[in-house]
Amino acid sequence: MAKENVKIEDISKPVEQLVKLTLDDLMPLPPPYDKPGEEPELTEPTPDWREKYVTDLDGYIAIDLPWKPKTKEEEEELVRKFLSGLQKLLDKENNWTFLQPLMLSVEYCARCQTCSDACPIYISSGRKEIYRPTYRAEVLRRIIKKYLTPGGKIKAKFTGDIDLNANTIIRLAEDAYRCTLCRRCTQTCPIGVDNGLISHEIRKLFSQEMGIAPKALHELGTVQHLQKGSSTGLTPDGFKDIIEFIEDDIEEKLGRRIKIPVDEKGAEILLIHNAGEYLSWPENPAAFAILFEEAGISWTLSSEQVAYDAVNYGVWYDDVQLARVATKHTEIAAKLEVDKIVVGECGHAHKAISVVADRVLADEYNIPRESCMPILWDIVRKKKINFDPEKNNFPVTLHDPCNMVRLMGVVEPQRKILRELCPQFREMEPHGVYNYCCGGGSGFAIMQSMNFPEWRSAVAARMKFKQTLEAFKDCISPEINKYLCAPCSNCKGAIRDMLDYYNAPEKCSIYYGGLVELMVNAMVDLEEPFIEWEFH
Amino acid sequence: MIWLQALVYFSFTVFVLVVLAKVVKYATMPIHLRWELYPVPHEKGRAEHGGSYFEEADWWKKPRETTLIGELKDMFMEMLFIKRVFEHKRPLWWFTYPFHTGIYLILTWFALVFIGAIFEIAGFPISAASVQQLGFLSWLSPLIYYLTWIVGVLAMALMLIFGLGLLFRRLGDEGMRSYSAPIDYFNLLFIIAVVATGIAAWQYDGDFAVARAFMKSLITFSPLPSISGATILHVTLLSLLFLYLPFTKMTHFFGKYFTYHKVLWEDEPNLRGGEIEKEVKKVLGYRISWSAPHMKPGMTWADEVLKVSPNEIDVWKKEEK
Ligand code: SF4
Ligand code: SF4
Repeated sequence: MAKENVKIEDISKPVEQLVKLTLDDLMPLPPPYDKPGEEPELTEPTPDWREKYVTDLDGYIAIDLPWKPKTKEEEEELVRKFLSGLQKLLDKENNWTFLQPLMLSVEYCARCQTCSDACPIYISSGRKEIYRPTYRAEVLRRIIKKYLTPGGKIKAKFTGDIDLNANTIIRLAEDAYRCTLCRRCTQTCPIGVDNGLISHEIRKLFSQEMGIAPKALHELGTVQHLQKGSSTGLTPDGFKDIIEFIEDDIEEKLGRRIKIPVDEKGAEILLIHNAGEYLSWPENPAAFAILFEEAGISWTLSSEQVAYDAVNYGVWYDDVQLARVATKHTEIAAKLEVDKIVVGECGHAHKAISVVADRVLADEYNIPRESCMPILWDIVRKKKINFDPEKNNFPVTLHDPCNMVRLMGVVEPQRKILRELCPQFREMEPHGVYNYCCGGGSGFAIMQSMNFPEWRSAVAARMKFKQTLEAFKDCISPEINKYLCAPCSNCKGAIRDMLDYYNAPEKCSIYYGGLVELMVNAMVDLEEPFIEWEFH
Repeated sequence: MIWLQALVYFSFTVFVLVVLAKVVKYATMPIHLRWELYPVPHEKGRAEHGGSYFEEADWWKKPRETTLIGELKDMFMEMLFIKRVFEHKRPLWWFTYPFHTGIYLILTWFALVFIGAIFEIAGFPISAASVQQLGFLSWLSPLIYYLTWIVGVLAMALMLIFGLGLLFRRLGDEGMRSYSAPIDYFNLLFIIAVVATGIAAWQYDGDFAVARAFMKSLITFSPLPSISGATILHVTLLSLLFLYLPFTKMTHFFGKYFTYHKVLWEDEPNLRGGEIEKEVKKVLGYRISWSAPHMKPGMTWADEVLKVSPNEIDVWKKEEK
């Protein structure tokens, strides 16, 4: 099949859609998905979507706002705003947060393309140019050189030309949401250039200058989080109801009632969970409660707005929103007089509060922040609870959430637990800091509008699906239940949708869940298994 | 040939000054948010699996353990062997590695010519025969003589062959071709031209005696020796290359220092009352002029965060017409 060759300059072309994906182009999958007809066909956007939204890149819509300019004036206004945003991106006061890393990445790329093959999206798509790690970076670089440096228009002929028009801008914005910010490409760059960061900065330009971002991240994400208390819309009262429900559930399983500490002043730990857990996987916070209580840890949850939801979507698209949410989290921790904040199984919440937002906190807001993983490992290592690994005698593999592992360095504690408690634990390849993203990174897991989920499962999550099938290839038959352990809410969301898309629970009996569920499942004290092997 | 000598001084000075200015520019940029990437080689006992101090409960109560050796090892593997290209793009490595080795060797050659010139200024001629005046160090002169020759010839050969190789690879590799602008070919051709004229000059200066004499003049600010037309052309081109280099992405030799040390491996935590916290407070005082509906332009970062009430946060809406 002839491969269309999209060039950098093509991004500004007046065509309806730059690239069209077909199943034939996508990276082949291992058995039992190696035959045609084993996965859903790709669909076309509806005419209505084409009219209203930006389908001009690859037909998929990440930014679900009707922001496509309709008139010449609107187009000119868009170009003007884009350039003013770009200037701010290169300005010390407006973008101190990432100025140095951004400038280095703009300046020093050698276009050697060493980074291309590290990108799961580029490879899964059958090497589509628009997904190549360097594509957006090169577009941005050329715009900066041509439009924001003296003599740029002339120099552009020599250093690489590009036309800045409305097409360029709307496609660039969409393309910034075809990268999960997993930064696997950056690991391979001999110069240390960071193409993931470039995607991040492009997203920021659109958000911070124009308010353009996927609704799930901004309007229903950080804004709703700050205004209502959680990006899920969960209210403090709703939260308390769920806690009661979880206590009932624990009583049923454990045979005795546990009082889950909420708003307990002076506890050692403020534990924060992704609120998605309470709504979609309440067994996860339940397992945490069981483990922390049984191990005698001094801890509490908070029922205060913002604090019962650990997420911080700002980390993917907006530094100001990031700082607002992080500061709120630590402010509440300070009020509760805890020693430290511990983040539950949520990767981006880990990275947001411990790493990225570390440098927006000062004085009373600067409270120690930690991962739950070492604490969980301590419970196993110090034998604070009796476990019987035989209870977990089924195939288990581990997904490494990018934010917690490659981007934060929490690698070993979770695998030590699995090696200890799961006799059939096997690593997927590659693993640890070199593992692939689940496909839900940088907000994709929660972006559910229009046809974006199709792209996510078919392209972004494809590599994860391949790795999972390969890790279980010795036991792929549907008679054997298999557990894909993903200690991260967003990864779980993406994996749930991925397994469902490929119908893998039915075809291969692959289930998924967190880490603490496996720990509780192995507890000697529990009569019935904690893991129920039902897909939800 | 005073103009040639002046050109050499001028371009060398500009090179040093512009590189310095760029280093200062990057070094004085404000502190940025943490954005490290694992493995971070200075994490003691953890770098092997890519871990960090976050693998430890109560990490903030414990002393941080880092290893300089680990960091240096990774740095040298990258500098001397271009490890990441070797691991992730082997076909390119076969060209880029010998080419960069050629660059390192030619820099060594310059150093050797410089040392040779110093010896000669001090009255110890550099030649194949040992120099009695140097006493028990009499072997030094022939050592410099032969080393200069071997290193110089090897460097020229590597740079020419693999410079051309890189040029053809850029044309042959689809991904690289479509991302290459005229400037990328120009840069390579420029270097190849400098090397080619260097080889031509060498035809008239088989043992680099003239090169040493040239260097001597430069060091002592005395008139240049008589040189061939090829040498004049070579030195002119080389000077122009030096003038041009600091303005290009070929300055990645120091850019790389910043990307690794100041971004990817920079994992210094912000501890209460520490130096980082002081820096953070400073940048939180910077003013924002972003104009999205959820921003309040004109406020400082600190105020954007602490003083804007959630209900004042607006979002993008389609303007009604
Ligand atoms: S980002 Fe790095 S690896 Fe990728 S093309 Fe640029 S220099 Fe090469
Ligand atoms: S950050 Fe990840 S998804 Fe984005 S370009 Fe790099 S490898 Fe691809």
